[in-house]
Amino acid sequence: MQLRDYIFRRLLVLPILIIGVSIVVFTLTRVGGSPIGIYLSHEMTPSEVAEIQARFGLDQPVWVQYLQWAKGILQGDFGYSGVAAAPVSDIFPLKLAATMELAAAAGCVALFLGITLGTFAGARRNRLPDHITRIVAVSGASLPQFWFGILLLIVFWAQLGIAPIGRSDATIFASIDHPTGLYTIDAILAASPKAFWDAVWHLILPALTLGYGATAIIARMMRSALVEELQQDYVDAARAKGLAEKIVLKRHARRNALVPTVTVIGLTFGFLLQGTITIEIIYRWPGLGRWMADSVLRGDQGTLMTYVLFTSVLFLLVNLIVDVVYANLDRRVTLGK
Amino acid sequence: MLDATQASENVASVRDLKVHFQSKRGVVHAVDGVSFDIQDGETLGLVGETGCGKSVTGRSFLRLLPVPPGILAGGAVSFRPHGPCTACEGAGCEACAKTGRRASGDQPVDLLSISLQDMRRIRGDRIAMIFQDPGKALNPTLTIGAQMSEVFLQHRTAELLDRAGLPPDTAGAVRRFAAQEPRFGDGLILKFPPKRGQRAKLQVALNQMVTEALAETQVPNPAKLMDRFPHELSGGMRQRVMIAQALACNPDLLIADEPTTALDVTVEARILELIRALQQRRKTSVLYISHDLSLVRRICDRVAVMYAGRIVEIGTTEDVFANPRHPYTRGLMAAVPTAGTARGKLAAIRGTVPELVDPPLECRFAGRCPYETATCRQNDPSLQPVSGGHSVACFIDHPTGSQDAPSFDRVTE
Amino acid sequence: MSEITDSNFEKASVRDTAFRVRMRRFFGVLQRLTSNPTTVVGLVLIALMLAMAIFAPWITEANTPDAYQMPRDWGAVRKPPGTPGHWLGTTNEGGDVFYGVIWGSRTSLQLSLYVVGSTMVIGTIIGSVAGLVGGWVDEVLMRIVDVFLSIPELIFALAIAAVLGPSFTNIIIALAMVIWVKYARIMRAQVIQIKQNDYVDAARVIGDSKLNIYLKDILPNAVTPVTVQATLDMGNVVLIGATLSFIGLSEAGIAEWGVLVSEGQAGIASGRWWASTFPGLMIFLWALAFNLVGDGLRDALDPRTEGR
Repeated sequence: MQLRDYIFRRLLVLPILIIGVSIVVFTLTRVGGSPIGIYLSHEMTPSEVAEIQARFGLDQPVWVQYLQWAKGILQGDFGYSGVAAAPVSDIFPLKLAATMELAAAAGCVALFLGITLGTFAGARRNRLPDHITRIVAVSGASLPQFWFGILLLIVFWAQLGIAPIGRSDATIFASIDHPTGLYTIDAILAASPKAFWDAVWHLILPALTLGYGATAIIARMMRSALVEELQQDYVDAARAKGLAEKIVLKRHARRNALVPTVTVIGLTFGFLLQGTITIEIIYRWPGLGRWMADSVLRGDQGTLMTYVLFTSVLFLLVNLIVDVVYANLDRRVTLGK
Repeated sequence: MLDATQASENVASVRDLKVHFQSKRGVVHAVDGVSFDIQDGETLGLVGETGCGKSVTGRSFLRLLPVPPGILAGGAVSFRPHGPCTACEGAGCEACAKTGRRASGDQPVDLLSISLQDMRRIRGDRIAMIFQDPGKALNPTLTIGAQMSEVFLQHRTAELLDRAGLPPDTAGAVRRFAAQEPRFGDGLILKFPPKRGQRAKLQVALNQMVTEALAETQVPNPAKLMDRFPHELSGGMRQRVMIAQALACNPDLLIADEPTTALDVTVEARILELIRALQQRRKTSVLYISHDLSLVRRICDRVAVMYAGRIVEIGTTEDVFANPRHPYTRGLMAAVPTAGTARGKLAAIRGTVPELVDPPLECRFAGRCPYETATCRQNDPSLQPVSGGHSVACFIDHPTGSQDAPSFDRVTE
Repeated sequence: MSEITDSNFEKASVRDTAFRVRMRRFFGVLQRLTSNPTTVVGLVLIALMLAMAIFAPWITEANTPDAYQMPRDWGAVRKPPGTPGHWLGTTNEGGDVFYGVIWGSRTSLQLSLYVVGSTMVIGTIIGSVAGLVGGWVDEVLMRIVDVFLSIPELIFALAIAAVLGPSFTNIIIALAMVIWVKYARIMRAQVIQIKQNDYVDAARVIGDSKLNIYLKDILPNAVTPVTVQATLDMGNVVLIGATLSFIGLSEAGIAEWGVLVSEGQAGIASGRWWASTFPGLMIFLWALAFNLVGDGLRDALDPRTEGR
C-alpha cells in the first residue's frame, strides 16, 4: 500500500473517532445532572421549568440536543467557566500555552535523557549504565508523579530553598510583553536575559518531574530496540568494514533503533498531557491541568468536558502524525498490517 | 590455477584455533583445535554441516565473534599482509595485477592478539568479508552509496583527498569527514562556506570511487544504484553490492561465508562466476565457506572438510574428490546427487552432529561412522598427511598401535 | 502441541495429556519466574503488602465506627515521626500516618481487586464475543474500543469520576469503565489468532459444540497475555486511583494513600515532610512490585524476550 493511501485512510477514520469521542463526552455531560441546573430553583412552577428547558432545547430528542451541542462546539462556543469567571474560549488559549510550555520542556528532557540512557544501556548490556537505565525504567513506570514532585519540593523548595514555585516572578513577569504566552519565548522576543532565566528557573523542576516517567518509557524502548539492532547482521558487516565502534553504534545501530522508538512517542505524549494535571497542582502552575482540577472540585463539568474533547483530539492527531513519520522512517514497514 | 612460486607463500595460517561458547549447559567447543593455511592467491573451500564451526572459523579472522558468549580460547591466526609491489612500487603493473601490492616478506601479524585499533585497520582493507544474506548484511535505512562510501572513508582518506584536489595535509572538519571521525558540530560546519565547497568536492570524488567499485561487479547503471535503498534491489543485486564493497580496497584475503546460500540457483551461478573472475584478476586469496560440495568442487583450489569443530580432511580439490580418505567426506559425497546417481541411491548420514559441550576423548564422528571400531571410541585421531598436501584425521589411514583398526572394507554398523 | 513426547501417549486420553502439558508449562514458568532476582523482589514486596492488608486490624487497632476513616487525635497534631503512639508522625488534622499507611493497603487492595477483577471479566467477554462472532458485531465493538482508547486514561477516568461525584466507590467505577477496553482488545486478538490454529479446526471436525471449543481450546490458551496485563494493572490502577484521590475525587479523611499525600502537602512549607512522604512511598512500592512481577511474568511466559 502506498504511503499516500495509508494517510488518506487514517484521515478518513479520524473524524469517526472524533465523533465517537464527542458522543462519549456529550453523554457524560448529560449524565452529570441537568445542564441547566444553575438556572433552576425550587420556587419555579413546572411551566416555568418547561419554558427554560425549551429555551435550551432540552425538550428536543437527545440526538437533536447532541447536534446543537456539537454545533456550538464547532462554532467555538465552549460554555462559561465558573472557576475563571469568563467564557471558556477566552481563558483556554492562555492556560493552554502554560501547559504546552511545561509539556514541551518535559518532552525535551524525556527525549534527550531517554535516548541517551537507552543507548548506553543497550550498548553496554549488563553493565552499570544498563542497571541504572533499568532502575529508571521500572521506577519511572511506578512512580506516582504527584508524590515525586512533592519530594522534590520538600528537598529543593522547603529545605534548601533554592527552587521556586509557580511560573514566574511577578515583577519580572510584568516587565515584559507576552505575545505568545510561552514565557521562555516571550523573554527571548523581549531580549531580556533576566526574564528568560526566570522562566527557565521556574520550569526546571516541574519539567523534570513530568519528564521522568516519559524518560522511562523512551529509555526502555530505546534499549530493547538497540539490543535487537545490535544483533543484526549489518552491524557485524559494518564492523567488518573496519568502522570504529562509535560509528557502528551511532550511524548504524542507534539510527535504526530510533525508528521503533518513534512509535512510543505518541504514548509518551498522552502520558505528558495527563501528567500535567497533578504537576500543575503541586507547582502552582497556571495551566490547563490545574484549571481542570479546580473545575472538577467546583462542579464545573462543562469546562472539564471541553478539556477532555480537546486533549483527545490532540492525542489522536499526534498519534496520526507519529504513525506517518514512522511509516516514512522505516521503509521496510508494511502499512496498515 | 596456481603457479609454484606463489604456492609457497601463505597469506594466512591458522594454528590450533579454539573458540568456545558459554551456554546454559556448559562450554561449547565450537571450534576445537583447527589448523590450516591459506596460500597466496588460492581459493580454499571450507565445507561442513550447519553448526560444525566453519562460520565461526571464518569470523575469527576478523574477530567478529559475539563476545560474550563467544570466547577465543586459544591458538593463533597469523596473517601476512601484502606489501607494495617491488616491480612497480605501488603504481600497478602486470606482475601485481594492477593492484600495486604483492605477497612479500612483510611481517606476519597474529590477528587474535593485535590491538583492536590494528584489527580495524585490517578489517575491510586487507581482509574483507561477504555475508550469507545480503538482505540482512546491508543496513536497511542507509543508501547503497552511503554504505559503500564508508569503506573508502575508513581506508582511503589520502586517495580521496587527492582525487578531490585537496592537499594531503588538509585538517579540521573536512579532514575529519574524509577520515570518518566526525565530531559534534562538524555537520553544521560543512554545511556552510568556506568548508561547503570542499565537502562537495569530496562527495564528488567519493561518488566516483563508489561508482567505479560498483562497476567492477557489472551492475547496470552503478551511478543510479547509489541512491537506492537495499530493499529496492533484488537479492542478486544486493550480493553484488556486498561483493563490490568487500573488494573495494583490494583485500589480500576475502572471507566468503556462504555468499550464495540465500540466493536463487540461477543467480547463484552468476555470483559465483563474478567472485571467481574478480578473484583471478586480482589474485585475492579466498576462504570460501559452504555446505555445498558440488559448488566447492567447482570453484576451489583446495578443500578443508570440517566436522564438529575439527578439520577432518584437507587437500587439493582433485585429491579430496578423487580419493576421499575420511568416512565423513565419503558420506557427504554420497549425499550429493549427480547426473549419474540412480534413483533411491542417495545416501544420508545417519544421526546428527554431536553436542560439543565437553566432548569426550574419542573420534567425533564415532557413533555416526559406518566403519567405527573400539579404537575410534578410545582415541581421538589427529590430522596426519596421507600424501603430498592431503591430510586426514582417521584411524583408517593412521592406525594406532596394536588396536583393532577400522577399514573401509569392513562396515561395522 | 509438539511438546507431547510421552511414550504412553496412546493410553492417555487427549485431555489428560493436554492437562499434563499445561502443568509442565506452568512449572516451567514458575521456575523461570523465581530465577529472576528482580521478580523475586517484586513477589516479596507483594507478599509483604498483602500481609499488611490482611493483618491490618492486628497491626493497628481499627478506628470505630468506620475503620477506613482516619482516626483523629486532636491532642497530637503535626507530630514528627518517632512520637510515641505515632511512629510515623501525624497530619495537620491529627491523623496517624502509620494508621493511614497500614489501612491504605486495604483500600488499595480493594480498589485493584474490584477494578481488575471486573474489567477482566467484562473485557474478556466482550473481546471473546467480538472475536468469535466477527462481522458487524466485531466492527461496532472494536470501534467503541478505539474511541475509548482515544481518550488518555487518567483524563477519561477523571471525567467519569467527576460526573459521578467525589467518592472512592466512584473512582473504582470510573477506573473500571476505562480499563476494560484493554482486555477486550487483547482477548479479541487472541481469539482470532487461536481460532485459526489447526487444533481448533480438529475439534470442530470431531463435532464439538462451539461453546465447548471456546471453553476447552480457546480460553485456556488466551489466558497468558491477559494474566500479564492483569498483573501490571494491579499496580497501575492503584497509581491512577491514588492520583484521582490526590486531585480530590474521593471523600476527605479516608485512609487512602493518595488522599494522605494530598493532606500532607499543605505542611511541607513548614518542614513537615512525613505526612506526604510515607503514604506516597507505599503507592510507589505497590506499583513497583506489580510492575516487576508483571515484567518477570511476561519474560517467563515468552522465553523469546529473555534477557532483553
